[in-house]
Amino acid sequence: MHMTRRVFLKSGALAVASTAALPAFLKRAALGIEAGGSGTRRLIVIFQRGAADGLNIVIPHGEPSYYTMRPTIRVPRGSELDLDGFFGLHPAMSALEPLFRQRHLAVVHAAGSPDKTRSHFDAQDYMESGTPGVKSTGDGWLNRSLQGLAGQTVALRAVALRPTLPRILSGEEPAVAFNDIQSFAGGGRNSPAGWPGNVFQQMYADSGDRLLHASAQEAFEAARMLKLVNPHDYTPAPGADYPRGRFANDLRQLAQLIKSQVGVEIAFAEIGGWDHHVNEGSTEGQLANLSQEFSQSLAAFWTDLGDLGEETVIVTMSEFGRTARENGNRGTDHGHANVMFVLGGRVRGGKVYGRWPGLAPEQLNEGRDLVLTTDFRQVLAEALHRQLGIGDLASVFPGFHTASSQFLGLLPG
Amino acid sequence: MRGHWHRFAILLVVVASTAWPARREQQPSSIPRQQCALHALNRLTFGARPGDLERVLSMGVDKWINLELHPERIDDSSLATRLRNLSTLSMSPEQMVETFPPVAVIKAVSQGRHPLPLDVEERAIYRAQLEWYRDKQENEDSKVTGRQAHSPLDSGGETGAGGLNSMLESAHRERIFHLPPGQRMIAILELSAPEQQRLLRSLTAEETSALEMGLLPRQRETLMALSHPEQVVVGELVAGRLLRNIYSERQLEAVMTDFWLNHFNVFLGKGADHYLLTSYERDVIRPRALGRFRDLLVATAQSPAMLFYLDNWMSVGPDSEAARGLSSRRGRQPSEPNGRTLGRAGGGKKSSSGLNENYARELMELHTLGVKGGYSERDVTEVAKAFTGWTIRRPQEGGTFFFDSRMHQPGNKVVLGHRIKQSGEREAIEVLTFLSRSPATAKFIATKLAERFVSDDPPPALVARMEHTFVKKDGDIREVLATLFHSPEFWANAAYRAKLKTPLEFVASALRATGVDVADPKALSEALNRMGEPLYGCQQPNGYSMRAQAWMSAGALVERMHFSLALSAGKLPGAVMSLPELLAGQQVAPDGEHLLAMLEDKLLNGEISPETHRIIAHALDTTPATAIRGERGSGGQELGVIAALLLGSPDFQRR
Repeated sequence: MHMTRRVFLKSGALAVASTAALPAFLKRAALGIEAGGSGTRRLIVIFQRGAADGLNIVIPHGEPSYYTMRPTIRVPRGSELDLDGFFGLHPAMSALEPLFRQRHLAVVHAAGSPDKTRSHFDAQDYMESGTPGVKSTGDGWLNRSLQGLAGQTVALRAVALRPTLPRILSGEEPAVAFNDIQSFAGGGRNSPAGWPGNVFQQMYADSGDRLLHASAQEAFEAARMLKLVNPHDYTPAPGADYPRGRFANDLRQLAQLIKSQVGVEIAFAEIGGWDHHVNEGSTEGQLANLSQEFSQSLAAFWTDLGDLGEETVIVTMSEFGRTARENGNRGTDHGHANVMFVLGGRVRGGKVYGRWPGLAPEQLNEGRDLVLTTDFRQVLAEALHRQLGIGDLASVFPGFHTASSQFLGLLPG
Repeated sequence: MRGHWHRFAILLVVVASTAWPARREQQPSSIPRQQCALHALNRLTFGARPGDLERVLSMGVDKWINLELHPERIDDSSLATRLRNLSTLSMSPEQMVETFPPVAVIKAVSQGRHPLPLDVEERAIYRAQLEWYRDKQENEDSKVTGRQAHSPLDSGGETGAGGLNSMLESAHRERIFHLPPGQRMIAILELSAPEQQRLLRSLTAEETSALEMGLLPRQRETLMALSHPEQVVVGELVAGRLLRNIYSERQLEAVMTDFWLNHFNVFLGKGADHYLLTSYERDVIRPRALGRFRDLLVATAQSPAMLFYLDNWMSVGPDSEAARGLSSRRGRQPSEPNGRTLGRAGGGKKSSSGLNENYARELMELHTLGVKGGYSERDVTEVAKAFTGWTIRRPQEGGTFFFDSRMHQPGNKVVLGHRIKQSGEREAIEVLTFLSRSPATAKFIATKLAERFVSDDPPPALVARMEHTFVKKDGDIREVLATLFHSPEFWANAAYRAKLKTPLEFVASALRATGVDVADPKALSEALNRMGEPLYGCQQPNGYSMRAQAWMSAGALVERMHFSLALSAGKLPGAVMSLPELLAGQQVAPDGEHLLAMLEDKLLNGEISPETHRIIAHALDTTPATAIRGERGSGGQELGVIAALLLGSPDFQRR
């Protein structure tokens, strides 16, 4: 593959230590003006690393096999939060129930990557490259999506709340990753505005080295914008009660970025720890605790976004599901299909999408796990097309054939 | 200093009179002679140390390159001294597993399937791990059943005695920190297992170093192993690699070991590979780094590290004895249409149900032929069949390679039109030999080597010449490299400083240039994590890309600047830089300009672009001294900032 890294700003903006006039949206941010909507549609992807047990997160309570296959870890009948008479949310996911009732939250069950691997790292790799079964793909599908976006590229168009750029966002399009807005923006001595950061900035601005020049430009531009976000001073919207933990902290920073209107169109965050081989628990226990952190964080994020939620779509995914039957250690092993959530203002929520393949022994994949009926790319292609207006889906998901007629109808056309 | 960039400008226009190698004379655009030695150092090593340039010049570039191609002739005993305290680096995987037991071993002990060791310190490690393991099991049980877990210490009651116990314990804890080293270790070992776990699992980074202060290396290992035995193995593996890259005198061997570890990538994070990578690097890769490609390929194929990483160890021939035995025992189980039998229902991770093509595919795509190497899906399946039975004995306990004929798929195989007669273990050897001698492999390996040593887009003529040597010399890597180093393209001006340093190359070269005496490389490996290329941390079998566009990013570059600042300010724990030492024997310069000139010489051998030089000089001229060194800072700090600007400059990012 021949990748040419793009310079994200046209040459005029590359002047030494540019203090050129700020774009309008930055001025708004700098002045702290609350806008109703920015007119920017955005997509946020959340990865549940470790293979979450979708069958205990969105429970098929209308399925008799569920209760016989999981004698100790099943959520007792009646404890689930019923969604549609057949499926119900795990009680620890209660923070998301109102969003489903308000029709902002949709569920897609029996979804995921069609590749048969049961290896965490292969399966995550495939879901991030967007090419299940093909190892050699060099870039991630979120990065390829950026190529299809209209409008001007700005430094914070694509962000990941992580120390390094994840596979899903790596590639030729500019994207930045950071753990902490404050430290990336130059809380220390490397601030582009002060000594000696300003000297670094000049050296790279004057450098004829194209790749270094472009990377530095991204870094300094992003840092400059982040400084305007004023990371020290952020109060989430009333009612946005973020729980403790890294995931909630990441989403809180993301909400802050989005509300500062610095041009975020694509974002990525992740939450690990879903690999429950032993003592998974039922209404309480390991899965319940993690599900609670997950759902409360998402609900707080949604509340925090306020009106900006109208132009936001959030999609969650996990590398594969877990076995239909519980194992000998009151846990579950690596399975196949899983559940995905789609949340957003324009989402046609309040519904569980996807064809349910059944849980009877003869209906299982390889005799052990939920059959896959919706390819994860089907869900994402619809989000990319209908939320971000990306037309060339074949470039984002090479080898995957889809058309709008095949979309599930999660978003209005 | 003005003189400096004048010198640089002059060097650019000098046309070499007596150039190395001779052939280069006809090349009008080749590197000036004065820079040949630096260029060779930049490419064959992890960066020049102070004094290296002079050494290479006095030996002669040609002779030095030849020496680097024969690492066995280079004395590396000072490195051995540096590594001697990292005890796992010389252990077999079985010894490591025994000394620093993973959870699998602890579980076996807990179930009475494995004896406790006799050695006092080793026994303490097991005892601590057993306590932790049982505690974890109990906690998980109690979470499910809703009952409170009680550790033996809490049995006295909810508040009264428990509170007293915790008071006693915190007083005891304080006392341990203040004991002299020898007694401190004894006191820790004498704690009850639960007390020990509470102490060791609650330590901050500062408390850990306070506790380790003055302990013998072996005692430090034991201390860490009491809470995290796997971390001893992993930490020493990473530390060993960094120290070797920075300090080994056999630099080309270190560079080539890095190259092959990346080419035959194995991800540390995949389960048992924690304990298998040390031997993989030491026994499989390094001894063959300059040897014959076929030998390297066979050794990686048989290594437990690779067999585990790419799943071949669990690949079962569909018609093998093992598969047939399984299906007859499990007669009532449904089977897939292709005749494969299924694993245990709800089976564990180890249930293998059939052919696993993972290794076969990567073998052709990434290790030998390359993605466009002309093989088909059918070839992948055939290769996978030939490799069935190549497995590991006890993978979680150190693991050794063995051929299990019961798992092997019977019958002849056809790979790329080449018929392989049924011969059990030999079939895979035949596949490897065949692949190693394919012209596509020669081209693929030559291209990657040229990308490492010359440029991201190496000249096709150079690749063709290396390919020719590869075929003619039966994959002799040393010969292929000799061809490379004697080619005009290697010495062309276009190649000079054409490569961006990878994160590892950047960090190692910064440490080499500044001559820092690294006591603990942990901060360095953490920096590599933040730059996006953790050592042994590439999940995908591809390894990290040789081409900068794949990994250079905004965040990674900011990290390089942060790293330069931290290193130069003496703020990297375990790698404290001393500029006065670096500049020892030199007249301390009176002003910023002279300091800059001295440091340009030391850190970059004077190879600094006029722009970079001008910007730093201008900044030093126009920035108040108090701003440069901080309000109460000394001249030493000023020196540090200049060093940081040079290490973080665009110029230092290239080699």
